[in-house]
Amino acid sequence: MKRIAVGTEKGAYLLGGSGSSWTVEGPIFPGWKVTAFGRAGDGFHLAAVGSNWFGVGIHRSSDEASWEPTDTPPAWPEGSGRKMEQIWVFHDDGRRLWAGVAEAGLFVSDDGAATWDPVPGLNEHRTRGEWSPGFGGLCAHRVLTAPGRIWVGISAVGCFRSDDGGITWEPKNRGVPPVDTADEAEPPEVGYCIHGLAQDPVSPDRMWRQDHRGVFRTTDGGDTWQRIEEGLPAGFGFVIWRHPGTGRLLTVPLHSDGNRVPVDGRLRAYASDDDGDSWQVAGTGWSDSPQFTGVLRSAFDGDDSGAFCFGTTGGKIWLTEDSGESWRQLDPSFPRIAAIRIVE
Amino acid sequence: MTVRVRLPRVLTDTTAVASRHEVTGATLGEVLESLFADAPGLRHHLLDEQGRIRPHVLVFVDSVRADIDSAVGPDAEVQVLQAVSGG
Repeated sequence: MKRIAVGTEKGAYLLGGSGSSWTVEGPIFPGWKVTAFGRAGDGFHLAAVGSNWFGVGIHRSSDEASWEPTDTPPAWPEGSGRKMEQIWVFHDDGRRLWAGVAEAGLFVSDDGAATWDPVPGLNEHRTRGEWSPGFGGLCAHRVLTAPGRIWVGISAVGCFRSDDGGITWEPKNRGVPPVDTADEAEPPEVGYCIHGLAQDPVSPDRMWRQDHRGVFRTTDGGDTWQRIEEGLPAGFGFVIWRHPGTGRLLTVPLHSDGNRVPVDGRLRAYASDDDGDSWQVAGTGWSDSPQFTGVLRSAFDGDDSGAFCFGTTGGKIWLTEDSGESWRQLDPSFPRIAAIRIVE
Repeated sequence: MTVRVRLPRVLTDTTAVASRHEVTGATLGEVLESLFADAPGLRHHLLDEQGRIRPHVLVFVDSVRADIDSAVGPDAEVQVLQAVSGG
């Protein structure tokens, strides 16, 4: 029995079941975009919502079924000229709760998402004037941490790292082409369209990056990146996910930035069991019918039991319960899926 | 004087706030501040970072579109609507 929280363009849904029998609860937050799920250090589930009319919000729940809104989600200060457009990601490091947002910025909460403070060392970085949005906006969408270090991925700006708990930050993109190819001759400090980040929790300086310009690996915390695409049908995509126990890496390649669907409609997760040196189609069960749909960066999740799943922009969910050996598409259909989380 | 405020269901369903409130104020800004005292979680949903009514939120005072500085008379009815936009 699995429970999967599905965040979509039109509300959240709770999918429960196993095998071919699944039930759907919802919509939760009807009419609202649900853009991120997370957990607070006190064990509460978190959901970020957004509305074209009413802005962003954060809700807390002890059971993913009943939710209570917080009164003060992250907000840019009056007079900043910035808009709080979307909450893209939550990350709890065991001590503090971080949120990456658009218009791009990093916020931190020390009271379980009740109140938030901006992180000025990143939000007012000396390069801020050069930050430009990607197709999805100017957004801080990935936050990873290790003792003493924090990494944030911002599109289309790049990967930043702090070695002092978030006070000072440096761009960490050497080895990755900038999104503007005209700049390749002299790599700029910013201008890198990072899409996803994954990390080895045991050796956190080992990281994997799905970028606009390909798939990359670092073994030095982001100081240098190397391209790792052997066996992939395309370097473009949004998802990069690493199983914390086995180290298996997964990604879902898409054709290209101008054609954000699987190559030839062959929707497949690709896996690597050698840290990204080589990739192959993950297991079996994939449809031979064309699947011209995308998978967004927060729409992939997995758990320790070997259950992995992802949701598509076409509103379907693919699931494996054996660490990626056999996959199946679940029957229920949803609106465009932005975020997914295996609850239990 | 009492001002009656009505909120749209798409907002109240998700924020767990009542759809009808009785508050006070002589301007729309004062009415909203009185509303936020009862329901602080509504502030960021109705106002932007600059303290202005959000661009896709419409507020009517006795059926006349109002802004933050608009006068609100005694026994007025304030209605908050989402704009007909989106998809």
